[in-house]
Amino acid sequence: MNKIKLSAMTALVAAGMVLSACGAPAAAPTAAPAATKAPEAAKAPEATKAPEATKAPAAAKTTLKVLVHQNPPMVAFMEAFNKKFTEKNPNITVDMSVVNANDLSTVSQTRLTANDVDVIDMFGFANQAQPYMKKVDAPNWQQLIEAGLLMDLSDQPFVKNYDAATIKDAGSYNGKVYEINLGRVSYSGIYYNKDMFAANNVKVPTTWQELVTACETFKKAKIACMTAGGKDGWPIFVGAYGLLGALYPDQAALVEGLWTGKITWNDAKAIEMWTKMQIYARDMMEAGASGIAGDAAPGRFASGAVAMFPGGTWYGPAIDEAKPSFKWGYIPFPGSDKADDNKYLFGKYDQGWVVAAKSPNKDAAMKYLTEFSAPDNYQAFANAVGFIPTQPTAKLNTGIGAEVAPYLANFRVGYEQYYVGPKGAGQFANPWASYFKPFGTYDDPKTLADKVQADLKSGLDAVK
Amino acid sequence: MTYHFGRGWARFIPYLLLLPGVIFYLVIALLPSLATSLYSFTDATGLQGAPMHWLGLENYKEFLFMGQASKDNLDALGRTLVFCFFVTTIQFALGLLAAVVLNQRLRGTNVFRTLYFMPVILGAVIQGLIWSLFLFPLGGPMARFLDLFGMRSEFLGGQPSEAFAWVIVVQIWANMGTTMIIFLSGLQTIPSDLYEAAKIDGASSWQAFTNVTWPLLTPSVNTNLTLNIIGSLQAWQLFLVLIGYRNGTQVLGYLIYATGFGQTSGSVTSSFRQGYAAAASIILFLLVLVIGMTVQFILRRREARILG
Repeated sequence: MNKIKLSAMTALVAAGMVLSACGAPAAAPTAAPAATKAPEAAKAPEATKAPEATKAPAAAKTTLKVLVHQNPPMVAFMEAFNKKFTEKNPNITVDMSVVNANDLSTVSQTRLTANDVDVIDMFGFANQAQPYMKKVDAPNWQQLIEAGLLMDLSDQPFVKNYDAATIKDAGSYNGKVYEINLGRVSYSGIYYNKDMFAANNVKVPTTWQELVTACETFKKAKIACMTAGGKDGWPIFVGAYGLLGALYPDQAALVEGLWTGKITWNDAKAIEMWTKMQIYARDMMEAGASGIAGDAAPGRFASGAVAMFPGGTWYGPAIDEAKPSFKWGYIPFPGSDKADDNKYLFGKYDQGWVVAAKSPNKDAAMKYLTEFSAPDNYQAFANAVGFIPTQPTAKLNTGIGAEVAPYLANFRVGYEQYYVGPKGAGQFANPWASYFKPFGTYDDPKTLADKVQADLKSGLDAVK
Repeated sequence: MTYHFGRGWARFIPYLLLLPGVIFYLVIALLPSLATSLYSFTDATGLQGAPMHWLGLENYKEFLFMGQASKDNLDALGRTLVFCFFVTTIQFALGLLAAVVLNQRLRGTNVFRTLYFMPVILGAVIQGLIWSLFLFPLGGPMARFLDLFGMRSEFLGGQPSEAFAWVIVVQIWANMGTTMIIFLSGLQTIPSDLYEAAKIDGASSWQAFTNVTWPLLTPSVNTNLTLNIIGSLQAWQLFLVLIGYRNGTQVLGYLIYATGFGQTSGSVTSSFRQGYAAAASIILFLLVLVIGMTVQFILRRREARILG
């Protein structure tokens, strides 16, 4: 009898362990956060100069190792481009690796150090130390240049295909070019479902109040208002960077103000921001968004499960791919009650190409970038990924391009591209909506505001 | 004196045979550990060719005493101990229970042993994926179960304390098989005639367990406790795979990884700070050393008392 009981118990526990392997469809990791800002500071060592790109195919068999971050439309384009490239250059094989955006810097570091990569996708240069910042470390791209791990591309003919301001702002250091940046993206906008808005008689919101009303209308119709790829962490709060931008349109000045103490995260204006962020996290974002992987979120939006999707312009092609007939629009996040304050799009320089200084395949790498930078190929790339082009001859002729075109004059570099935290600052020293319940522990804007400011001030005091 | 390998130069054969292993250990384990302790006094970035400067105790001061960040670090240290306590005690108890049950002559014990041990061979990424699916908040099995009671949760992406508790559950699920196997091997070394003698003396099952099984399992108990404590103090992969870098959930092992590879600020241009991460590693090492040595001391005394 006892043995029967024991057998039954054992079977039950074992069944529980096996059942834990069953589950709903989840997804994998995704795309981008990143950079900007023209650096100028310490001296970089002489990096290896790139050879002049040659036109004849490489004589010996070469395997070119390329590293990119996970962004499905971009990866699909690169696979097609690589195929075309190897057909044209039969002596070169492209070995492309794809990693999660969150792991790109780690993998770049280890593979560069191991001399195991030739061409790397790197976000635009950003977060450089400013004169008012004390005791901050150099950003990782600057560390890589100073270690002599990135190749000087200054004399490469293909650099001239890109606009000079982009090359200077997002790819240069100490007057030398180390990256060709491939496009700007905005992350402070909201995608909306045109048919769903029409069916529910909801006006496309241009003010915060209109956004709140729109969400309430959808909620009454039992439709979730917004979703995000919260499993990757940052997508849950990146949409609310538009809210931050509506209240602090000059984000470089915001960062300087925070460092110098002229702006605090718990003054009246900031409390307004935190109050709205709480509404965003608690009432607008769909329950369960924290489990959705970044690259699954566009598909969820395209499925019609939610009315809106706050996120970056890089998601546009993925939404189209998920459901080509789906009608969507893209607007700046209306964080302010005045429509005029909501006309800005905030963003960054996204993906760019750098070359390993110690690459044994320099000729092949230059050939690769030359081919990629050819206007036709670049245009096809920009169309595939939905970037705002950085080649002056390229046209903004994508769905997302048409949506952002009216706001391009108001494009601004975002807060996260300027901010460098002081050493000693606590872990809450960031304007992130995800600190609020249900994604975090806070449910009172004032309490959170005081905590965020205290965490920031602790670091500022420590580096005085 | 007896020389098993003969006289003359042959006496050195054992040392020569040991040499490859010793060299391997020096190169793979000891030298990197020593290098880490040296790096902890520098601003090393981990980049080949990057300039490195001697900072003395600066990294340690920053980790332990600089602003709110140091208090957050100490919180991570405390969380590491909490994680260690719950993982060690629960994993130990469940592993022992499973081993005792599966040491009986039951039908299908080999199947159950395999099932319980299977998570061990999966690796952290697969383990994390399985549990991410299980805890998927939009219609995953656990969400559906809670829904029966009108409840819902964000699970791994929600309250930090809840996410932390789930990592404890997964860590136990992932490693209990090893604990069970060690106990099973210990149980199978206990002669059956001891149980027969106890039975003749009228001992109940519980008395047989406490007076025969438990004392004779002492070597397995010691091994399991040591492995569980050290393993849980160093855990970080499941934190990375299941919840990533989130406030209120980090343990020291994950904090070290995130700092060393520039993943702490949420910005993709965070600096590489391997010197600072090395200092944190040394603090973790000291913690493991002190706890490990104390536990070893207590366990050895206990073993000597019980087994003589």
